[in-house]
Amino acid sequence: MTSRWRDLGLAGLGLVLLLLVPVFGAPPAIRDFIMFGMAYGLLAMSLNLLIGYTGLVSFGHAMFFAAGAYAFGLAMQSGKFSIPGAFVLAIGFTALMALIVGAICVRLNEIYFAFLTLAFQMLFYNIILGWVSFTGGDQGLMGGIPRPKFLGIDLADRTQLYVFCSVAFVVCIAILRQIVTSPFGYTLRMIRDNQERAAFLGINVIMVKLACFVMSACIAAVGGILLTLFVSGAYPNFGFWTTSGEAIFMILLGGSNVFLGPLVGTVILRLLNDITVTYTSHTELVLGIVILILVLGLRKGPLDLLAERWENRRQAKAQAVRDAADKDAQTGRDA
Amino acid sequence: MTSIEQRRASRRQLLKGAGAIAAAGLVGAPAISRAQTGAIKIGVPTILSGRVAILGQSSVGALKMSFDKVNAEGGINGRKIEMVVRDSKGAPQEAAKVTRDLINNDGCQIIIDAEASSAAFAVQEVIREVGVLCIHTNSETSSLTADPKLYVPTAFRTARQGIHDAIGGGDYAAKVAKAKGLKKWATCSPDYAYGRSNTAEFMEYAKHFDGNITVVEETWPKLFQPDYTEVVTKLLNAKADAMYSALWGGDLVAFIDQANLYALFEKQASFMVNLGDYGVVDQVKQFPQGVYSGGRYNRTVPPTPENEAWYLEYVKTQKSKPTNWSWENAVGAQFLIEALKKTNGDTNGKKLAEAIKGAKIKTPFGDGGTITMRAEDNTTINYIIGYGLSLSKEPYISDFKTSPWEPILELEKQWKKKQGYAT
Repeated sequence: MTSRWRDLGLAGLGLVLLLLVPVFGAPPAIRDFIMFGMAYGLLAMSLNLLIGYTGLVSFGHAMFFAAGAYAFGLAMQSGKFSIPGAFVLAIGFTALMALIVGAICVRLNEIYFAFLTLAFQMLFYNIILGWVSFTGGDQGLMGGIPRPKFLGIDLADRTQLYVFCSVAFVVCIAILRQIVTSPFGYTLRMIRDNQERAAFLGINVIMVKLACFVMSACIAAVGGILLTLFVSGAYPNFGFWTTSGEAIFMILLGGSNVFLGPLVGTVILRLLNDITVTYTSHTELVLGIVILILVLGLRKGPLDLLAERWENRRQAKAQAVRDAADKDAQTGRDA
Repeated sequence: MTSIEQRRASRRQLLKGAGAIAAAGLVGAPAISRAQTGAIKIGVPTILSGRVAILGQSSVGALKMSFDKVNAEGGINGRKIEMVVRDSKGAPQEAAKVTRDLINNDGCQIIIDAEASSAAFAVQEVIREVGVLCIHTNSETSSLTADPKLYVPTAFRTARQGIHDAIGGGDYAAKVAKAKGLKKWATCSPDYAYGRSNTAEFMEYAKHFDGNITVVEETWPKLFQPDYTEVVTKLLNAKADAMYSALWGGDLVAFIDQANLYALFEKQASFMVNLGDYGVVDQVKQFPQGVYSGGRYNRTVPPTPENEAWYLEYVKTQKSKPTNWSWENAVGAQFLIEALKKTNGDTNGKKLAEAIKGAKIKTPFGDGGTITMRAEDNTTINYIIGYGLSLSKEPYISDFKTSPWEPILELEKQWKKKQGYAT
């Protein structure tokens, strides 16, 4: 219970820090960077719920990112929904889609699961491209996303949009944290580590995996909605396999064993992208080299490495205390 | 010289940005500050990586050449023009972010959007919000300026429009079809919105001008498809009299190289809207002779000293040949320079937009030497449209027929009504 309140307190602190950015008059580019990072951060964090906590390596997670973006964008362009209404509708649509896709995919493991999710993603991507009259095809949703006021909030105002995105982002991160620290989260880890043992203990592995799949899809959908609001449009490449690949890069860069690792990876990837793009057009080359260094050199994400060193030091200290106590006891006995 | 200012400014701005974000208690992000110098800063989001990077580079080359000339003459009221170029990789969301960064971070007062279509629509939405002047120089998708729902008062287009090419091309194709009895047609275009809409519009207008034309086979190879054997076989089996293709870039190069193995171009008349561009000409192993080629950019079209001089200057300064995107950017730069002269260097979006609306410029790429920025929908008209016959060696195109603009504009009006863009 204590750790739960501590996590919520940290989430509140994170929100306050994010909200201080415009208060301190940070330039629009900083806010843009953060908003962009929040959208992709949710994609990576939600994917890590599958990869890091459940051992389900999905190659098709971006389809839910795109599903949220398109459902929200289309609902708003129809003019029949308020922003909260379209928000809920987009998450509901994505949940339903994840339920159908997940019901088929989670029965498989490892490479079979990965490739089936990739296949569903490409199917979804081709539907977006092919259904031109509805989705705009490869041009995406054109003409902007209307942002009518709701509850006095005007998302056409960049500062208010930033605040809205920050709140949605922190709420999603808090939900993810509650999931991974709950008994359900520990069940996910058990499934990741030994699926058969979990089944022998009476856990319905398929149902737990499916629930996890749907939850992570819903969080990815929120990321897609935030990006749609940011760019005022939704585009097919939101759901292309390269976007899923980017999310996996983010997890690799940040680390999958520490809760906020993918978020750190997102910041690193976006920073690398934004900095290298000002110097060279060979962004992918730079990213490739960085990832090679991490994979071959560190063999884990930087946050994972820090966590491991912290743990090693903590254990070393504990061992030193135990050794000292043993030595004292030995000295006492000798005396 | 125009400075494609990337390295120096970015480092300075990076430090400022890092300081600002550190104050907010977060990790640093690149860059932030409005330009304080007297230079006129123009942001150019474009594609500099991937399969179409050569087109992005040819866009930047043409812009650089135009602005260098102005700067060499002293600039606009003594203010130099600086370009800040950023690679968006052609991704719409990156293009939107890069455009916002160029304005908010690099202090650009004007945007020349040298993006392909999908990213251009994303840039258009940024411009709607920020209100700076924007010239879309490469997007040929008609709806960008034709659809009143997408209209942004400070956004203009100096690229070709798909519908103009379709009407002009349809008219030319119908004339050839009548003269040579080409009744059965096949199509081979990329399977995405551009390919499908371009082909549908071309065939619609070909049928409009010649009622005997029927389409007997349609093939839709995937974008970036490496193997066209199946497509070529289908086209051969269709035994059509003629074929239309909207393939472009690397796809067109791969298709021609593979179709040559089956002597496809000798068995039927072929019409290819994107063939006559140096980017394709220089890449194809065996450039086909006698194919009806759409006008993109060629040093002999129009055969004027001005066009030849522009071509030679481009090759000399940029060390490469210009492409279709080059002339479109050169026209965009010229409209902008003329507008800046009218506003005495004032970069206010509304003032520049007023100066560009309805303007007419003298240019080597205009039909009759001029191009007009149509006031009603902020898009250019009177640029050169037409078809010619391909040659396997320089100048690669012969017997070029320029399409007259009067019927194009008349039929465009009807098309707009049909699309619900006009009443």
